[in-house]
Amino acid sequence: MITKTTPEVGGMGHPIKRKEDARFLQGKGNYVDDVHLPGMVYGHMVRSPYAHARLKSINTEKAKQLPGVLAIITGEDLAKANLAWMPTLFFDKQMVLATGKVLFQAQEVAFVVAEDQYTAADAAELVEVEYEELPVLVDPYKATDPDAPILREDREEKSNHIFHWEVGDRAATEKDFQNAAVKATVHAISQRCHPAPLETCGCVADYNKATEKLTIYLTSQAPHAHRTLFSIVGGIPEQNIRVISPDIGGGFGNKVPIYPGYVCAVVASLTLGVPVKWIETRSENLQSTGFARDYHMTAEIAADQNGKVKALRVKTLADHGAFNAAAQPTKFPAGLFSVCTGSYDFANSFCEVDGVYTNKAPGGIAYRCSFRITEAAYLIERAIDVLAAQLKMDPAEFRRKNFIQPDQFPYKTPLGWTYDSGNYEGAMNKALEMVGYKELRKEQEEKRKKGELMGIGISSFTEAVGAGPAHTFDIAGIKMFDSAEIRVHPTGKAICRMGTKSQGQGHETTYAQIVAQELGIPASDVIIEEGDTDTAPYGLGTYASRSTPTSGAATAMAARKIRDKAKKIAAHLLECSEEDLEWETGKFFVKGAPSKSKTIQEIAFAAYTNFPEGLEAGLEAVNYYDPPNLTFPFGTYICVTDIDKGTGEIKVRRFVAVDDCGNVINPMIVEGQIHGGLTEGLAIAFMQMIGYDENGNVQGGTFMDYLIPTAVETPHWETGSTCTPSPHHPFGAKGVGESPNVGSPAAFVNSVVDALSHLGVKHIDMPITPWKVWNILKEKGVVS
Amino acid sequence: MALQIQKTFQVNEPLEKVWSFLSDPRKVAACVPGAQITEQVDEKTYKGAISVKVGPSVTDYKGEVQIVRLDNQNHEIEILGKGQDVRGRGSASMKMTGKLRALDSGGTEVTSSSELNVIGMLAQMGSRVISEVSNIMFGEFVKNFQARLAQPEGAADAAAQAAPAKPISATSVAWQAAKGVFRRDS
Repeated sequence: MITKTTPEVGGMGHPIKRKEDARFLQGKGNYVDDVHLPGMVYGHMVRSPYAHARLKSINTEKAKQLPGVLAIITGEDLAKANLAWMPTLFFDKQMVLATGKVLFQAQEVAFVVAEDQYTAADAAELVEVEYEELPVLVDPYKATDPDAPILREDREEKSNHIFHWEVGDRAATEKDFQNAAVKATVHAISQRCHPAPLETCGCVADYNKATEKLTIYLTSQAPHAHRTLFSIVGGIPEQNIRVISPDIGGGFGNKVPIYPGYVCAVVASLTLGVPVKWIETRSENLQSTGFARDYHMTAEIAADQNGKVKALRVKTLADHGAFNAAAQPTKFPAGLFSVCTGSYDFANSFCEVDGVYTNKAPGGIAYRCSFRITEAAYLIERAIDVLAAQLKMDPAEFRRKNFIQPDQFPYKTPLGWTYDSGNYEGAMNKALEMVGYKELRKEQEEKRKKGELMGIGISSFTEAVGAGPAHTFDIAGIKMFDSAEIRVHPTGKAICRMGTKSQGQGHETTYAQIVAQELGIPASDVIIEEGDTDTAPYGLGTYASRSTPTSGAATAMAARKIRDKAKKIAAHLLECSEEDLEWETGKFFVKGAPSKSKTIQEIAFAAYTNFPEGLEAGLEAVNYYDPPNLTFPFGTYICVTDIDKGTGEIKVRRFVAVDDCGNVINPMIVEGQIHGGLTEGLAIAFMQMIGYDENGNVQGGTFMDYLIPTAVETPHWETGSTCTPSPHHPFGAKGVGESPNVGSPAAFVNSVVDALSHLGVKHIDMPITPWKVWNILKEKGVVS
Repeated sequence: MALQIQKTFQVNEPLEKVWSFLSDPRKVAACVPGAQITEQVDEKTYKGAISVKVGPSVTDYKGEVQIVRLDNQNHEIEILGKGQDVRGRGSASMKMTGKLRALDSGGTEVTSSSELNVIGMLAQMGSRVISEVSNIMFGEFVKNFQARLAQPEGAADAAAQAAPAKPISATSVAWQAAKGVFRRDS
């Protein structure tokens, strides 16, 4: 149990208001585009209109003549510095600026630098590029056809096949399928979508020729890792690079990779010796930066006659676009996709994934999810519903029958993961009760008799978040630990710096609450600072819901080091031995004599003014935390939909979300995270897709076509929670920010399929638009 | 992005007169907003250019127009046009079949069926906008076609050479396309 602090201290469990909101709500945030440096100039990208074409020539003469134009960089220019290509985060390389040919529409071809952004944009229009069109590969299923055009001429292997990855026991799984009384199959596409953060990507690169120091203001979710990569790739000594991630307007995985625009701005600043700003437009962000998903999946479940599942077999085709720019741990070409056995007790499983190149933007990044786990959770939750429907069993009862039971934890899955803790049935029961499941089923039955369409969809997901541990997880070789440094000032106030980087998650509040919990210093007295690589301890950044499991843990561990030292100082001040002291939030007191005590503030002052002989002055500590395992948050979401027969319009009537993320730091922030993630999940399920036509033209390249949910589309979210602490985390917490995005798409889809199941509908691919539903209703003869 | 466009319109001129006009790419091109024939390569091949403005986006296609099939008997013509934007911002091709039918009234019915293929930034605007733009352009084309056809033989020729039809204005296309999109959705 976590000791509850007073509201004044504001430790764990207090719904204190977000400290960062004061500046955000007043328009006083400081984003990359707010950075204005003296003498700053602007870059603009020339991009390819073709998905696949040979570059014949680039004529920059007219553009150079435009007054205000300072430089135009092409791929050939970069090639001279050996920078035309850069490594991706996953064993591949990608073009910074195209040489030879272009491989996707909106690919970077030339970088124009001018005195102001308008001149830069105008000059980009004047750059004349001659292309020769080549056959375009759009369908991933045709990537390995003998007559498919080979996209990557730079690779030794003349094939569009990137990798084959498999895990699990193939033979045992086959055997279970041969002996199975019941089998169910679902083919589901987790469509290409985009995180579309409100703030697009951008940077200001500022190279000072006198000091030889390069400062990069960057929209980065992982500033330290980016500094190291800039140093290794660019050959700049790492101490001379300072990456500053100022306020970030949403990342969702989109700001994990390094993009060509960053590299070009750095090259331009190194060349010109002035700060160079490059900020993407909305369309550039949607069309060229890290997309997510694009997994084409088949799941098969083998079960016995009573509906007890035995084995799961998964085969997936992953479309990575032109370059494999997935942001994934080195050992996992398909990320954590093998958590696809979900919340269910399968005896055996086998999972295989093949990755291919196509003429599309490179990726895929983990959009508000822990490396492909959204795809996995969606697939298993769909497959479970398909099998339940096939057996004519209630989907809630079917889940109950097959859940991993609380006494089975720590639970080793057939695909090699060890779940730390869980109580799946507990979360589902709470959600069923909140939504009034039995009554809803009755209502559905009655509505069906009247010809009305109503659906109830359940998703009982398991997430796997908080990478490391370091022995299993690294990105580009850097182990996935994370860090915290706490300095307590003489007056008892503190500053903490972390290796993570908030993009809106509320770190400035939650980390302060951890310090408050551990040291008793009020959260309001603690400043959190992240994102400056010159001051913060090294870390791998924020994504995969890893901040609380890693840096949050590091904060507690560093605070405990401080508490140990504080105890020595308290013993000195109270003239007793350390063994005689007991800790109570915010103070040490002598056992049996509670009036003899020293507060943490008194101890902090003594740490600088009256410390015992032989002890170092000061009160600070740093911790690099390597978690022993991932944390596995879970929950059950239930979605109730009504479908308009005339138009196919889907109305989400109710949505109940019960989450279990262990011990909660700030329930209000958790609830906010759940609301945001559910809204994104809703958009993925019903509205969003980055589509391509047969020529490789992007069909979701603007907000006209790539729809963003607004208050109009968003239903009222009803949230609830259960609490199953993580046994290995220092304060029993699990990550949570991504659970709603991971768990909700299946709930939405299951609900719509449930509404139409009596018509024989077994599956509908996302995004489920009214048009799709209306066509199904037409096909089934429900509407004429 | 491929678009199928089917259009039928009528003109108050006899079939043979319409046919002699339709079978001459120079005359037809002069009716297309923003288009012009710059050079005749051989009997069936012409070089030309067309400028399309959609909102802030201007695409100047330069390319070739070829008569693939000319059936004087049945009054059918098949034309293939291909062009690349001069600044390398994309390409477009169009295969158009035109067919004439004499009407009892003495006029002629023109049926055209086209397959338009657009690649590049313009194609990103989506079929909703592109088909609206082609609707507007076709509307202009029909107007010009009827007007020029009604002119005496020599005058039309002179007009075609002296003043090629102007590209339709950027704002008007964007605005009308936008209106079209909303009209269709509502």
